[in-house]
Order: sequence, then C-alpha cells, then structure tokens
Amino acid sequence: MTARKPLVATDRAALMLQLVPYLIGKGEVSIAEAADEFDVTPAQMRAMVETLTVIGLPGNGGYWQMANELFDIDWDLLDERDIIVITNSVGLERAPKLTAREAAALLTGLQMARAIPGVGDTDLFNGLLAKLARGASSTPAEVILAPGPVDAVRDAVAEALQRGVAVSFTYKAPDAAPTTRTVDPVKVQIATGEWYLQGWCHLRQAMRTFHLDRVSALELTDIPIEHGEDPVPGWFESGTGDIVARIRFPETMAPLLGDYLDRATVETADGVSIATMHVADEHSLRRLAARRAGIVEILEPESARRAAATWAEAGLVQYR
Amino acid sequence: MPANASAKNPPEERLVNLVVALVATEQGLTKDTILTSVSGYREQSEAGASKDALEKMFERDKESLRRLGVPIETIGDWADPDDLREARYRVPTAEYELPEDIVFTPPELALLNLAGGVWSESSMSADARSGLRKIRALGIAVDEPIIGYSPRISLREPSFAPLQQAIEQSRVVTFGYLKPGEAAARTRHIQPLALVEYEGRWHVYGADLDAAADRTFLLLRIVDDVVITRESFDPALREGAGERALAGLEDVAKRNRALLEVNPGTEAALRLSRRALPADQGIRVPYVDVHVFADELASYGPEVRVVEPAVLREQVILRLEAARSAHGGIV
Repeated sequence: MTARKPLVATDRAALMLQLVPYLIGKGEVSIAEAADEFDVTPAQMRAMVETLTVIGLPGNGGYWQMANELFDIDWDLLDERDIIVITNSVGLERAPKLTAREAAALLTGLQMARAIPGVGDTDLFNGLLAKLARGASSTPAEVILAPGPVDAVRDAVAEALQRGVAVSFTYKAPDAAPTTRTVDPVKVQIATGEWYLQGWCHLRQAMRTFHLDRVSALELTDIPIEHGEDPVPGWFESGTGDIVARIRFPETMAPLLGDYLDRATVETADGVSIATMHVADEHSLRRLAARRAGIVEILEPESARRAAATWAEAGLVQYR
Repeated sequence: MPANASAKNPPEERLVNLVVALVATEQGLTKDTILTSVSGYREQSEAGASKDALEKMFERDKESLRRLGVPIETIGDWADPDDLREARYRVPTAEYELPEDIVFTPPELALLNLAGGVWSESSMSADARSGLRKIRALGIAVDEPIIGYSPRISLREPSFAPLQQAIEQSRVVTFGYLKPGEAAARTRHIQPLALVEYEGRWHVYGADLDAAADRTFLLLRIVDDVVITRESFDPALREGAGERALAGLEDVAKRNRALLEVNPGTEAALRLSRRALPADQGIRVPYVDVHVFADELASYGPEVRVVEPAVLREQVILRLEAARSAHGGIV
C-alpha cells in the first residue's frame, strides 16, 4: 500500500464527508475494514468516528444542539467490539459528487483498462464514461491515453489466462539467443505502452518476467496452470543482478532515465548525479548509453564502458 | 489572532459542521447566523473573538470547501447583487450529492476498481482512490475482481500536476521549454487544453499564444516550473481538445516515415517491426518526433541503419558519436 502522508484539516474534512455515506451504506463495519478503505490507521479511524459524534445541525438561538441534532454511534459496539454503527444521522447520507480531479483519475484509468482484451465491452465503457462525467462537480481536465496497436500475442495471452492453460513461445531477450519457453501465465504487467507477462517458466522452474514484444510464435497448450497462485516477482527482478554498475548524468536529466533509477542508489553533488545499481547483464547498459548519448556516462564496470564505445562504433561503421 | 488562540475544536470539525448546516438549509443562512450558531464558530463568538477574525475564518473555510468540490451558493440581495451584507449561503443538495439516478452495476464497479488502481505513486493515485470510495459508498455489490492484469501509469514529470490544474481552471500557463538543438530554453505562453500520453510519453496540447496556433509540447522538455497565471480563457476551447491533440499527433506520424534496414532476429527487428509498414527494401516506421525516435534508434547500435530521412540519419550518427567519445572512444 502507499505511504500515508500526514493529513491537513481540509483532507480530514474531505474524509469525514465521505465517511458518513460509507458507514450508512455498510450498516455495520469494523474499525479495521473502515481504516483500510480510507487509507488511515485504525487509531485515526477511531478518532474520525469520535469526531463525527460532535458534528451536527446548528444550535438555535445560542443553545447547544439536542442529542438528535448530532451524529451518534453505538458506543458499546465501538468500545467492546471495534465495530462502527451510526445510530443517528443529520445529513450527508449520500456520497458527494466526484471532484474534477477524482473523475479525471478514473476516466484515464478506464482508458488504460480498455486496452486489456476481454475486459468490458464498448457499451460498458461508454456507460461508465457518461456516469463519471455526470457525477463530477466540475469538468475534469482531459487526460488522454493514445490507444496502442492491436496485437495477436496480447489477445492469445488473455485467452490463456482466462482458460487457465500454459502458453509456449519463442523468447528473444536482447543480446541472447532465442529460447523456447512454456509458461504458466500469472499476471500481465502493463506500463508506458509495454506489456510484460509474468509466470512460471517450465524451463527455469521459477517465476519469470517476459516482455511481450520479444515473444513470438505464441501458442496455447492444453497444460493446465499449476503455479497460478504463486507470488509474482516485483515489477522487474529488481536488484537480483550480480553486476554493480555506476552511471553519471546531469541531475536535471533524471526523468529521462525512468525505470532505471527505481532500482538505483543516487548521489548528487553540484548538479551531477551518480547512480549505483545492480544489473543482470552489462549488455543492457550500452543501449542506455547510446540512447542517452551526451547525457549518460557509464563509469563502471570498465567492461561495460568499453562495450558502450564498441557498440556505438559498430553502429557508426554502417554509415561510412 | 484571538480567534485561533481560543479555538478548541479542530478545524475539520468546523468545516464539516458548516457543510451540514449549509446542506440542511433551503433558503440559506446569513453570515451572522452561521457565525453565532454553527459549532466551531459559535464557541469562538461566545468566547469574544472579533467579528473581523471570524469573518476571515469563514471566507477561508468557504474557499477550502470549494476546493473539495462542495458547491457553496451565495444568494445576494436581489435589488443589489453586489451587496453581500445580507447574503445567504447554502449548498444545493442536487449540486452536492452524486445524482440519485446514477447507479453503478457490479461489472462497472469491478472495472472502476481496476481503473482506479493504475496510478503509481502520484497525487492521481490518491484522487482515484478517493473517487472510488465515493462510488463504493453507494453500497453496490461488486463482481469478482478482474485478475491477471496490473496496468500502471507512471507520472515522473513534475509539470503534470500544475498543467492539469491550469486546464481545470482554464488558466494560461508559462513554462521554459528546451528544444533539442537549441542552446537555451524559451518561455512559452500556453492556453493548456489537454494532456495526452502518446507512445509512452506525456504531452500537453494547447493554444500557443506567441505562435497564435495550437501546439503540442513534450512534458520531458519543460525545464522549469510551470507558472499558472491569473489570465483565464474560455473553457469552451477545452471541448474535444483531447481528440484534436490525438488526431494532430497521428497526423504527424503519418507524414513522418523513416526507411530503415534492420538485422533480423535482433532487438531492433522485434521492437520496430511491430510498428512498421513493409517497404521494398527494409521497413517504413512512422514517428512523431525526430529526436525521440533518434534516441531509440541509437540504442539499437549496429542492429539498425537509417536510410532516410537525412535529418534522422544525422541525429542517430550524432548520438552514436557522442556515446563513443564519452566512453573513451575506440582504441
């Protein structure tokens, strides 16, 4: 789960406004479940619920509110069993409209979900788009994802996941000979237009991640999945490489390096950053060095440094 | 300020009490009524806080609530709408609540749960979760979750959030934009209309006020903070902007086609041929930005050779030369 940032008063007010409809919708809910739903600690949830009981309609003519003009909860259930039940409500029963930002975050997420084969049809998506637009308190900023190319490999993987069978394919990792793999598909990770299949590799007898662009001749087998419940590796097999690499680049260019730095320790002085990271093979670094020429310099290992120069030279030879 | 010093109730209590009061009233409440009867203000009134301090607090609270999307309506004097002394304030239920006729089905909710989970660490992630909570509070049953897929969107560019805010508010922005090959960044004045991810990169599309034309900018090339100015523009300009931006990018890709020779079986062949059209010799690959495409082609080293256009070939050669000399050259 995400790290919990400290909440300011306005954030807490926003949560309270969502809490009432949630509690009423639930009828009865544990502190733990409600805390999870609201991304707060159980102690914070308890405090929110206690705060709720001093909220109510305005007092008339300087008198304090009557009990029935305040929210109230079943205190015995809260104290003895950590369960929240609202016993008196004075408004706010229906959820507030979405803010423009909330609607935008969901609308863009839907565009991404739409790229997944077999997930929802056009009617379902269009219906949702219309509901979210109408449920927003003001017009969300348009945040558009361009649709990627249609792809037979992606469709076939979707079918294998759905049928629960292994797939076989040819895999061509960069700078390695092609291999034939049989894999129990477990999860498809999608990021910045790239699709990765994670699954149990029968050849390696372990969970592996495969970039779908490097997969060809994919076929469904009749072998039922046996490792579908296994935990998938992290986003990449991060930090598993044996080779320690160091690269240097201007601090301002860090966004250009994207994923690479997720796995790195970065030290910066005078606007120059040096990242230290573990990599599985040193060949991948020469591609980075050429892609970010003039920005990234490989410092270590020395062999990767030399490989970067040789790689660039081999490219240049073609133009002489 | 005495008003704050004597405050015993946390501000979120006062804010929520204010919403309860403003939703409950049909004809609206005057400021005086609010300050003397809504809990949070009332206690401070009674403790002798100055009216001025309380009014300032009320103004700040109204702003905070509006930022949360709570629509606070001001009903002025009909004879003199600018005279706010007797103004009444209310929150119209129909504007505040999710409309009663919006109902989400279990398959829709399953899809929204997947959609809401795509944002990795960013403010968009918190917004998506908050939006989902409101929808889930409608008490809808949910289908089995959609498993097997983990789509994610990363937002690494710090310019994204201020640009999104400027679009929402229809306000002109300025930012420094560094084009490759130019020595220094130039300041641009833009009416931002839409944000578009194309081929894995974020762009902002908008009306460039200096060029008097619609332009698309790569967020990666924005080199300093985006400044949201006070100058606003007609929100109607935003209508259909996403479609126009996308059509523009696709149009550029149609016009820019590189002729490439690739070595079969290599990384370059695998990655490029998926986007390629067959040619008599080699493949033709559409691209949007010559510098971005040259970055990619350079990474393939000897696996690809650019036949044309010349500008792309030059850019790839420049990169390969720079990479070679940065790493000690060939001995």
